[in-house]
Amino acid sequence: MSEKKQQVSRRQFLNYTLTGVGGFMAAGMLAPMVRFAIDPVLQPAAQGNYQAVAQLDEITNEPQRFDWTMDQVDGWYESTVTKSAWVYRNDNDEIIALSPVCKHLGCFVSWAGSEDYPDQFFCPCHDGRYFKDGENVPGTPPAAPLDEYEFKTEEGTLYLGKAKPKGGVI
Amino acid sequence: MRWQEEDIDLYIGAKEYVDTLLIPLMPLSMDDKFDINKLTVQGELLTIFANEIEKQFKGRIFLMPTYNYMFNEESSLELTRLNNWVDKIEANPFKHIFLLTLDHQWKKHERDLAGNLLWFPAIQSGNVSSKESQVIIKDQINQLSELIRSYW
Ligand code: FES
Repeated sequence: MSEKKQQVSRRQFLNYTLTGVGGFMAAGMLAPMVRFAIDPVLQPAAQGNYQAVAQLDEITNEPQRFDWTMDQVDGWYESTVTKSAWVYRNDNDEIIALSPVCKHLGCFVSWAGSEDYPDQFFCPCHDGRYFKDGENVPGTPPAAPLDEYEFKTEEGTLYLGKAKPKGGVI
Repeated sequence: MRWQEEDIDLYIGAKEYVDTLLIPLMPLSMDDKFDINKLTVQGELLTIFANEIEKQFKGRIFLMPTYNYMFNEESSLELTRLNNWVDKIEANPFKHIFLLTLDHQWKKHERDLAGNLLWFPAIQSGNVSSKESQVIIKDQINQLSELIRSYW
């Protein structure tokens, strides 16, 4: 809570300073520097927390899409963003939560998104494909596997953290 | 992709993959004789649609900053200006150009437009963030993305 208060006053302070300096010119010149300066302070507070995403008993062997919202601070913008994940249990009964963002140019992939490949993730933009475990299918545009969310489970609820690159085969 | 530094770098390196341009058309007015309330709700919806579509198809769609114009019964002036805009952009090869709007006046000029008109009727209820509206909006977005994919 106290961290939050600090952010606000910091931002207000910057706002006042900028308006004081005068006009867009100054703001334009300062913006890159200021962004650089406040980013490291704001990032940890706004991200890095785990968000409740699903109940464990909802999760099956078939990847399902779950959406959730979180507040995000990105430089000047503070907004509520919707995040999504494809979640399933693999053959070893482990939970896998994959980011839907295609590693080629960032479109949303969907499980069984193409009738021709009912057991792969499919990207509608340039026909990129991924196997169920998130590995990119060689010969399609993506050059890396889908990012995987960090997760933890507590009292029957699945919490997701940050999506991390899997760094598998290229 | 969007009209912002981060995305432009990506765009320049991947031009051949980004073959679709999306331009939201948003009417403005401060004139009491129009239903300004309705116009603002439509404006909010348009922004939501555009943002969601961009997010889903980031790697293939370039979202232009919104084209604003004064809401007016006589829109032929805008037609010329908009087509001009599109012509200039088309010099940079985009295969598909979509004009997204909730303003039904464009429907009349559909044949003369230099792009595919995606016109959507607005939901009537005021609150864009209510649960019921969200369901409808989600559904409209799905229809919209399917429509776009059908052109590819
Ligand atoms: S963005 Fe997914 S294949 Fe190009």
